Amino acid sequence: MKHRFLPVILAGMLTSCFAVVFNAVAQTPPAGTYPSAAQLSSRLKAITSRYGTLTNLQSIGKSPGGKDVWLLTVGRGKTAQKPAIALVAGLNGTHLAGTELAVQLAEKLLAASNQDSVARLLDSKTFYIFPSVNPDAQEQFVAKPRYERSGNGTDTDDDRDGRLNEDPFEDLNKDGLITQIRVEDPTGTFIPSKEDPRVLVKADPAKAETGRYLVISEGTDNDKDGAFNEDGAGGVALDKNFTFDYPIFVPGSGEMAVSEPEDRALLDFLYKAPNVYAVFTFSPHNNLSEAPKFDRTKTTKRIITGVMEKDATVGDQVSKLYNSQTALKDAPPMPPTKGNFVQTAYYHYGRFSFSTPGWWVPKAAAPADTTKGKTAPKPSDNDDVKFLKWADVHKVSDVFVDWKPIEHPDFPGHKAEVGGISPFARLNPPVSFLNDIADKHLKFMTAFVRQMPVIDVVNLRTEALSGGLTRVTAQVINRGLLPTGSEIGDRVRFVPKMKIELKTSTGQTVVSGRKRILRSPMAAGESMEVTFLVSGTGRANLEAGNAMTGTKSIDITLK
Amino acid sequence: MKKLFVLFCILLSTTTFAQQKPAQNDDLTGLRAVGSPANPKVPMRWNHYNDYAGITKFCQDMAKAHPNLVKIESMGKTFQGRDLWVLVVSDFKTGNVERKPGFYIDGNIHSNELQGSEIAMYTAWYLAENFGTVEFTTQLLKDKVFYIAPSINLDAREDFIKNPNNPNSPRSGMMPFDDDGDGEIDEDKYDDLDGDGNIVLMRRKTPLGRMKQDPNDPTRMIPAKADEPGEYEILGYEGIDNDGDGQVNEDLAGRYDPNRDWAWNWQPDYVQNGALFYPGTLPETQAIKKFIINHPNIAGAQSYHNYGGMFLRGPGAEEDQQFYNPSDVAVYDVIGKTGEKIIPGYNYFVIYKDLYTVYGGEIDWLALGRGVFTFSTELMTPYLLFRQKPTQNDEFNQFGKYLLFDDAYVTWKPFKHPQYGDIEIGGPKKNYIRNHPGFMLEEDAHRNMSFTLFHAHQTPKLDVQSITSKPLGNGLTEVTAIVINQRVIPTHSSHDIKYKIERPDYITLKGASPLAAMIVENADLNITREQKNNPATIEVPNIPGMGYVQVRWIVKGSGKYTVSVDSRKGGVVEKTQ
Repeated sequence: MKHRFLPVILAGMLTSCFAVVFNAVAQTPPAGTYPSAAQLSSRLKAITSRYGTLTNLQSIGKSPGGKDVWLLTVGRGKTAQKPAIALVAGLNGTHLAGTELAVQLAEKLLAASNQDSVARLLDSKTFYIFPSVNPDAQEQFVAKPRYERSGNGTDTDDDRDGRLNEDPFEDLNKDGLITQIRVEDPTGTFIPSKEDPRVLVKADPAKAETGRYLVISEGTDNDKDGAFNEDGAGGVALDKNFTFDYPIFVPGSGEMAVSEPEDRALLDFLYKAPNVYAVFTFSPHNNLSEAPKFDRTKTTKRIITGVMEKDATVGDQVSKLYNSQTALKDAPPMPPTKGNFVQTAYYHYGRFSFSTPGWWVPKAAAPADTTKGKTAPKPSDNDDVKFLKWADVHKVSDVFVDWKPIEHPDFPGHKAEVGGISPFARLNPPVSFLNDIADKHLKFMTAFVRQMPVIDVVNLRTEALSGGLTRVTAQVINRGLLPTGSEIGDRVRFVPKMKIELKTSTGQTVVSGRKRILRSPMAAGESMEVTFLVSGTGRANLEAGNAMTGTKSIDITLK
Repeated sequence: MKKLFVLFCILLSTTTFAQQKPAQNDDLTGLRAVGSPANPKVPMRWNHYNDYAGITKFCQDMAKAHPNLVKIESMGKTFQGRDLWVLVVSDFKTGNVERKPGFYIDGNIHSNELQGSEIAMYTAWYLAENFGTVEFTTQLLKDKVFYIAPSINLDAREDFIKNPNNPNSPRSGMMPFDDDGDGEIDEDKYDDLDGDGNIVLMRRKTPLGRMKQDPNDPTRMIPAKADEPGEYEILGYEGIDNDGDGQVNEDLAGRYDPNRDWAWNWQPDYVQNGALFYPGTLPETQAIKKFIINHPNIAGAQSYHNYGGMFLRGPGAEEDQQFYNPSDVAVYDVIGKTGEKIIPGYNYFVIYKDLYTVYGGEIDWLALGRGVFTFSTELMTPYLLFRQKPTQNDEFNQFGKYLLFDDAYVTWKPFKHPQYGDIEIGGPKKNYIRNHPGFMLEEDAHRNMSFTLFHAHQTPKLDVQSITSKPLGNGLTEVTAIVINQRVIPTHSSHDIKYKIERPDYITLKGASPLAAMIVENADLNITREQKNNPATIEVPNIPGMGYVQVRWIVKGSGKYTVSVDSRKGGVVEKTQ
């Protein structure tokens, strides 16, 4: 299974010209709002019918709710035999923007496929795009009532009391949205924020503040257990169900790691795809704008919990690439959560694994002038306040439900009001905001792909010795800007080793030197010399590389 | 004070007795030996190892011969498509079998560790064949249900039995993998050079070697003394370099560990050798997990391995010690220490401490993922050979000589090896060392079954001990019930209670509408904790082993009350007064 590289012009190409290219072909943003699972399916099918030979759409499995988990493969020809990156989105049901970005990325990449540079990219690399791994949860965006759901369609007893889904949300104000309820009560610990009275904040005794409101989710305590809406429809949160740092017996994590068919389908595909070099995820976790730091104490124990030293360096390099290519600033830190996919893809699957929310509330511009004695108010630290301010500035409507009184059966005689930030609003701006973001991420992604390893075999020498012996010497080099694999991956059984092999034909034997060399990853620019003493004549073949890097193969004539 | 449930049992059991003839001496030309069924409906020899066809036939025969005691089910299919048989053994005419406290048994997760299957089969056989004749067995099958899966690695068991192997191969299942990273799959397996079905050792006579043959025992190779020259070098198990890569036997069938495929503290292969992609990568694991989850009545479990003579409890990894709370350890201690008495030479051990670290093992998942009190037994120990602690390290060779008459070893014989030249091959047969010699199998099967039945007997047995009522005035009555657990195992392990793995036990008052309900924490001092909702059914987190809970209702009026207990692992009981 050989795949010969095109002349290695890709690695050195300037990325700045591509920005122009992609902007020039940018699609008009899809009108309206985030799609339902059915709409997403037709959109993906439309892509494949438009770009037939460059795409393949397959369902890798069904969700418990009976929805397809789609994989859109983008690339020309034998995609399974080319180095690939995987792009995963929609694991977290509340993150619709990730799904939209993944689909737009595919659309924009394909729209540019008639450009030479992009065509070459699609000739040499494969993009595995999983736009929505958790369609059951995402569907709650279009279902009634709309609420932020992370659980799939599996039946779960979230509060582990032996009763299933006995305390769901209730849309008490009948607006189709599940928001919050505030109840005036002497035991309440919340007060309206001074920065934005719509937002409720904890009363701070240090500032002589006393609480005024109890805050609960929109609904009643159906099972009278003192907890509100703690067990509604919505099963396992797929992004809490992976193997790394799996959280036991917490709501949403499921009965055990990888209990869910969607997670199994994703991992089964990936583990059986040796060509995947790196994994990108659109999720609320961010390790791209700032890479995780190396901490030796976390890498020397039997169970490794921190990035390996060489991988931390690569992380920095990719982080710089991300920040320069996207020109996005002020990304929130958003640390990883337990049992998530991104960390599992690194620590267990052994691939470089990067994640970004893609979109976040941009920092408010600093006030232009500060006249003497009158300092402008400092931008708020409160995420809700910042979000609402951004929405106001950009005239984004429907992000807040104004507090309106209702009768709450659990609080007779108290003033209760429904209101708060609309479900999904915080993580998912109107779709029109994502067009530019998708362009920027495509620019980054293609820049990354152009830095991927490129294996070459150079300086081949054959010395004919007496008695039909030939000494073959050559150097194998990684001409890419990234290593041939991650340092963690060197430990993982299912990550292919860097392989160098002298393929002999009949009558030829390797008298000295290992016929087949399996080694750890080669850094960017790293080379190694190989030498073989071969007896016999005719043609032999020296091959270097693996499924993640692509292989380079050269013919040798033994005289 | 009539016990409806017990009465029900008695009624049914008398019927059963009436239908059965006393079976003490039928077809015996002599006297029944105590402890063994005289005239089993399914005749079995317990001195050999069964292949898949043998296991399947046994399971089907048992279900046919004992329709009211044994049902056969398949938990799913193996990777190669064999049925994962499980025998459901209980008195199907007494009570609702699905609600009886359950006990799960499996064997042979490591395919070369055969005898767990025979011990599991013996257990099913013994229970069914003695029902109605041995009172303990009869009562046990009225109270409990056993789920007995003789082998959960049938593909590789078949490979072990039918194909050339050594005592340690294949521990894995048969799912093919590229072990050496060369892109080819299972391309350099063992080679049965002499075609005798055993993969034995290769040795080469050379003055460079540091081994020599034991002058007292030709089956045994020993290191040469520090100051004397050696005679031989050991070249590993029978095989050749099939793929010409300079390595011998480096890409065998499988090479993974089905007992590292479970969803408790699962770790990848570089942390825990033998792990696959994620817990439950194997279809066998998925099928068993599903079966266990669908049978929440399973209160105890046993997994059979070999070898070493050990009753093992978890945790497999030191960091999971925190999940074995003192009260749960106390339960394990009762069972484990009794085991040491039942089988001389077997020790009660903790996996991570006394064996080695195991991440993602089956019994941790059962114990900590499901809250089931679980043992794993390492069958067979050299102690059994001469009934004493081994001292010389030549016990197997001596046993082979004096008791097995040279049947246990392949005698060294010359062979011309394509890579190594003139060598000799010989050594222990694949069915020696780890697996019991035939005549010892039945005894150890019985002893291990006895240990497991002790464990199963200790799963919860609940009873409503008393219902008392006291008028409170104003037309109100206080009804108090005491529910007891007559066995060592609680309805919920304390780990289970902490993480709410299984739902609480429900104690329901019928025949009256309660106004209030409470758990009595101290009857003498009248300390109670009220349950504010749904007063008819009181939820208690646990009914402790050899302990009780006391619950109380306040009802309007007075009359006859029925108290019913519904516990997932403790079963259902009811009493009216």
